[in-house]
Amino acid sequence: MTKEAKVSFLFFAPAGIFMLIFLLFPVMLLIKDSFFQVDMISQDSGTFVGISNYIESITSDRFLGATTNTLIYVVVAVSAELLLGLFFAMLLNTGFKGHGFVRTILLSPLMIAPLVSGLIWKFMLNSQFGIVNQLLYDFNITSSRNAIQWLSDDRTALLSTIIADIWLTTPFMMLVLLAGLQGIPVTLYESAKIDGANKIKTFFYITLPSLLPVLVVAILIRTVDAARTFDIVWVLTQGGPANSSEVLSTYMYKTLTRYGEVGESSAMAVLFIILLLLLSSYFLISMFKANKK
Amino acid sequence: MESLTNTTQDKKSLFQWIRKYNKQFIGIITTILALLFISPYIYIILTSIKPSSEAISNSPTFFPRELSIENYISMFNQMPILSYFFNSFITAFVSTVLSVFLGALAAYGLARFSSKLGNVFLLITLCIRMVPMISIAIPMYIIINSMGLIDTHAALIITYTSINVPFAIWLMMGFFNNIPKEFDEAARIDGCNIFTSFLKVILPVSLPGLATTSIFCFMLAWNDFLFALLLTSTNAKTATVGISEFLTAYNLDLGPMTAAAVSFSLPVMIFSILVQRYIVSGMTLGSVKG
Repeated sequence: MTKEAKVSFLFFAPAGIFMLIFLLFPVMLLIKDSFFQVDMISQDSGTFVGISNYIESITSDRFLGATTNTLIYVVVAVSAELLLGLFFAMLLNTGFKGHGFVRTILLSPLMIAPLVSGLIWKFMLNSQFGIVNQLLYDFNITSSRNAIQWLSDDRTALLSTIIADIWLTTPFMMLVLLAGLQGIPVTLYESAKIDGANKIKTFFYITLPSLLPVLVVAILIRTVDAARTFDIVWVLTQGGPANSSEVLSTYMYKTLTRYGEVGESSAMAVLFIILLLLLSSYFLISMFKANKK
Repeated sequence: MESLTNTTQDKKSLFQWIRKYNKQFIGIITTILALLFISPYIYIILTSIKPSSEAISNSPTFFPRELSIENYISMFNQMPILSYFFNSFITAFVSTVLSVFLGALAAYGLARFSSKLGNVFLLITLCIRMVPMISIAIPMYIIINSMGLIDTHAALIITYTSINVPFAIWLMMGFFNNIPKEFDEAARIDGCNIFTSFLKVILPVSLPGLATTSIFCFMLAWNDFLFALLLTSTNAKTATVGISEFLTAYNLDLGPMTAAAVSFSLPVMIFSILVQRYIVSGMTLGSVKG
């Protein structure tokens, strides 16, 4: 070992050891447990059951339902955030007077806990005292004050959790896209103007392509975060009613704590990691390709 | 010829006037939309200062008809909310100090002495970011359980630190890479060894980076709900879990719940507006560079 490498190792060692024990070991344990039937109380290492935990999860309707719900959640939430975020970012990017102040307003939910967002919407969507139903009634959209049972109707429960997610994370999308917009060289717009491009053409031929690398990263980050959502769903519906808003995180949590199925929840967790890695590798590859261009 | 230039000038000034007017118009529209967007949060604040009967009225209004601190009083009466806040703070604070300390050391080692290992590490960090929290939570629960640490501050501190360290390394490496190597060299010439030059020269220069990293580490721990729900029950229960208990199947204390949610998040909101510079730099670092 050279002296440099030794020093580097010394600096890295404390963090390295910590991560070895409390990050790498847990992941290893997770993979191991997924092949075992583990008893939480006796705390022995359990009996080896091969891939039966995996088979059990994949073939269970609840797992498939939770996966479908997670996919719906991700697709709807991320697309809505993207459109809203881009809309706000473009408005702010016009640089009107006082845009800094408006930006601060829009960014203020940035650090709010997902749990708090869940609570806010739990309160607003409450079918009895909620202001959302009141407003819908006031504007004559619905015929009674508790026309929509947002959280206890299996048709709207998942949608309600998605609304809370969109509200919470649109500011992040806006922030990243705004930074991306501001990074587009003004000369590009000027030459487009000289070429006689109108606003719509400029948007599709200049803005969107230049924004693409940032867009891909923003979508990737938000996709992964939305897929692992737990707090919002837990506080709003706990996955109910009748599992209609059950996502993978809440289902795994229940499998672990309510049913004590360490093996099966571990198997699902491993599947979940693989799913997300596959998904993100697709994004990372397309990002890499976009960069090359 | 003269008239031609005049009309183009007129046209130009008219165009500029429209543009100027347009901008103001866009400004007004955006401000209204932004206020609408933030209104759910304002509504919660306003509700928390309504009398509790009005907070759960069947015909809710946006603005309070009457002001009251009733909800705040019953929040304190119903649960030891202060000790939950204390638990949240102490676990977030200690884990932040630990993660930033470990992360800064490791990042310096990687940034200065081995870029190859550094790149490998960036890849690992990215992968860790993909791992869902619940997947870490399952084995963490078993480990903490077998260590006999369930329902202790240590359980949460360990968990938050382990999640934050890779992230802290990644952020700090970005900052260290921006500090010229001449700084280290000058310090060495002045008689510092590697460690003292790190402590006395590099760390002070990278204070903004340390601030950004600390804010993110602290917020992750402060806002966490999943691990606190899983790993604590009474002694180390954090504010997020406490607040969520205002809403159970048997008990829907919406008034005190809004008071607790505001007490929990308003300081964060004000703080995040004050340090927005750091938050923005941290959030755009990874995503815009690429």
